[in-house]
Amino acid sequence: MNGHVSRREALAGIGLGAVSAGCLGRTRNIAGRNVASQLTLQIDAAPADRDPNAIRVARHLAENLRAVGIDARINTLNRTDLWRKVLINREFDVYVGQFLESNPFDPDAMYGFTHSRFVAEAGRQNPFGFTDVNGVDEQLERQRRTETDRPAVVADLQRSLCELQPFTVVAFPDSLAAVREERFEGWTDRRPLSAAALLSLDRAGATTETDGDDGSGGNATADAGTADGDTLRLVTTDAQITENWNPIAAEYRREGTFTALLYDRLALVDGEEVVPWLASDWERVDGETVAVDLREARWHDGEPVTAEDVAFTYEFLRDTSMGSLEAPVPTPRFRGRSSVVRSATAVGDRTVELGVGDVNDAVALRALQVPILPEHVWADRTDVATIAGFEFDAETTEAVVSTNENPVGSGPIRFVEATAEESVVFERNDDHFLARADSTDGGDGPAAGVPERFRGKPAFDRLRIEVSPSDIAAVAAVGDGLADATVSNLGPDAVPRIGREADARLVAGRAGGFYHVGYNVRRAPLSNPRFRAVLASLLDKETLVDEAFSGYAEPAASPLAAASEWVPEDLRWDDRETDPVYPFVGESGSVDVERARDRLRDAGYRFDDEGRLLSQ
Amino acid sequence: MSPFLSVVTSVVLWVGAALLVAAAAIVGPRRLAGLRGELGSRLWSVRRPAAGLTAVLLVSAVGRSALQTVSELFGLRLTGLIYAVEGDFVAWIQATFVTPELTVYFSGIYVYGYVFLLSFPFVAYLALPDATTLKRLIVAYALNYSIGLVIYTVVYAHGPRNLTPDMVTSLLFTYNPDFMALTSEVNEAANVFPSLHTSLSVTVATFAVLTRGEYPRWTPVALWLSTSVVLATMYLGIHWLTDVVGGAALALGSVYLSYRIVDRAVDDEIAGDRAVDLGDGA
Repeated sequence: MNGHVSRREALAGIGLGAVSAGCLGRTRNIAGRNVASQLTLQIDAAPADRDPNAIRVARHLAENLRAVGIDARINTLNRTDLWRKVLINREFDVYVGQFLESNPFDPDAMYGFTHSRFVAEAGRQNPFGFTDVNGVDEQLERQRRTETDRPAVVADLQRSLCELQPFTVVAFPDSLAAVREERFEGWTDRRPLSAAALLSLDRAGATTETDGDDGSGGNATADAGTADGDTLRLVTTDAQITENWNPIAAEYRREGTFTALLYDRLALVDGEEVVPWLASDWERVDGETVAVDLREARWHDGEPVTAEDVAFTYEFLRDTSMGSLEAPVPTPRFRGRSSVVRSATAVGDRTVELGVGDVNDAVALRALQVPILPEHVWADRTDVATIAGFEFDAETTEAVVSTNENPVGSGPIRFVEATAEESVVFERNDDHFLARADSTDGGDGPAAGVPERFRGKPAFDRLRIEVSPSDIAAVAAVGDGLADATVSNLGPDAVPRIGREADARLVAGRAGGFYHVGYNVRRAPLSNPRFRAVLASLLDKETLVDEAFSGYAEPAASPLAAASEWVPEDLRWDDRETDPVYPFVGESGSVDVERARDRLRDAGYRFDDEGRLLSQ
Repeated sequence: MSPFLSVVTSVVLWVGAALLVAAAAIVGPRRLAGLRGELGSRLWSVRRPAAGLTAVLLVSAVGRSALQTVSELFGLRLTGLIYAVEGDFVAWIQATFVTPELTVYFSGIYVYGYVFLLSFPFVAYLALPDATTLKRLIVAYALNYSIGLVIYTVVYAHGPRNLTPDMVTSLLFTYNPDFMALTSEVNEAANVFPSLHTSLSVTVATFAVLTRGEYPRWTPVALWLSTSVVLATMYLGIHWLTDVVGGAALALGSVYLSYRIVDRAVDDEIAGDRAVDLGDGA
């Protein structure tokens, strides 16, 4: 972090003269001290083409850091590289990114994100290296157990996180999409980009062009240019789904929308609603166990989905080496959820018993939301990952690094083909319980308990996702009729463009995962919560929402702000103009340098005569 | 038609038409007529540099994504350093000079003008009786590409529009998103240093100055176009000033090397011919 060359050598040179002068001791005392130099911070963020919002947040922070005398540099990396750097290698100072889970999430989502038991693991779990054993850890454990006190405990948890700032929440962006409705409708839904929303789309009745052959044949390659009425065509700036289909690869998944369509979970959460998905039903049999009944289902390769697969999945998520390595290699995704389930036992073909301990129902339910994996595929991926036979890292298994080509899931779509960095094609899984269900069979049949809007779905025969070089080009593709919707973040230059495209419409759903500035608290001075508090007060969230998100976001202090029932009064944003905990030092985007420096001085930091913050 | 195809078609048509006009006006009917019987032998005489250039382009097409991966994993991440060195120069250009007319002009130059600038010298130097200049040109192109590819692998940096979108608008793509379909096929956003647009344009301009005796009318046109391309890379927010300086240096180095390489090859050939003659004689 400290990029400056030590001046020790220079002093040593001077020292030679001093030695001859005979004051060796004093010279050694001076030359032996490291000379303080300006603090350098590197801010990692994806470039504007990949994430138009994050880079603007990073710029804002960097400008204000420079103003107060910190040498801040932005380092642009593509998403995968960014996440590899931050989540896997943990080699960063500060990053700007999105919380990679779509809203709404239960407060227990913070367990994986901030619990200190995950500091040594690679993955989405606690990338900050944050430890607050008696405060945050305690509160995280208690909110898992208590039923009646949970709101109070969760409120305390938020207060701790807001005070200690392992990361600074910036804003909850709206999920925005440019859509055209001539072929598929139902986009008005609350979360236009979630797996559940894509499944509940309907074919636009009057204008559908039905061509003779159905799209389920494996080789009828859909061309983006032709009017293929059966294909839902999406554009994204994220190339990741065209080259990697591993549902547990932390650096390749964002919210995991498409892998969630490939791999069914036991339960699906759509907004406030919990839908029994691969599990037809579950109940708490005693205080510590959940018994789960599975639907009749098959993997995409024709094998039946069994209780053994489910039991395997939970075991596997806890240790992807399945006990074959010295130390367990937990998954880099779903770590908080998999830590709930202590044991999983198949009882018969279609019933599994999950030992969840004394957690409350909300947390037990969250544990049901992991992708169920086929044992016959993933059991072969438990060995140490190698390149050409050489082990690079004894703590990485094949499962974690596999691209998972030709993914075998049990979900409503099946993989067909992909061209890396260009496109990927999926097809409807006609064998899925949604496809087999009739919209007329009421509450029974293969999709018992599933709401009407999912029955007989998906409405498309094929799903084609095309990679677009930027958000603007993605919007243009929808405007030109080459795509039905955008599925990646849209920046302030792309949003007004939607209005100018005649056939495109803006759909603004409820908040997505929050944008935040994450700090590597393993590194000084980011290890100091007082220092982080000053950094937090250099972010003018209100201005950022206007400028970086063109108003399509809500500024927030708490990571749970999108679920307002959990947020205590003192942390709510409501009509405030600035952060309730660490208000912005300055006004409308421009920082009050002297006040900010006073804060840093109060926290024990020093400046040189040119106003540069000294690193030690 | 997909945006990519429609842009390519339009580029081919317009540049083709411009080449015809320029051939008539700059090369002249006499030299074009002289080309008729000679075309085959002249093309044959540049087969080696042409094969070299083709090889470089093929390696670039096939290996680029692998090299890009190497660059992502091990490349020097220089975006922050470049910005620290030159600051908001590109933002200043945009803040000072941007008008709708200039945006149309520079967008056209960046795509159409550039393709024309690179292709016309082939026609012009092919029409010269001596193929040496054509050989040098092809070698210089190949050097630009291959050295550029190596630097792209070593350096991983994004352009101004990707780092400072609040100050630098991505003008080309905001007004012509279709152009993006073309440039994203050819360029990777993390390959900005050096600017190949700059280096190839400066290469052409350098040759135009060196051959002003043969084609006096081409020299001002080439200088005008290449200056416009160089400015366009920054005006449109695609490249840093640093990339442009690096590109110009790469161009001058490539031209210099192309003279060395081609002249040595010609010497070798003469020597080789002599050796064959001697062999025959014996």
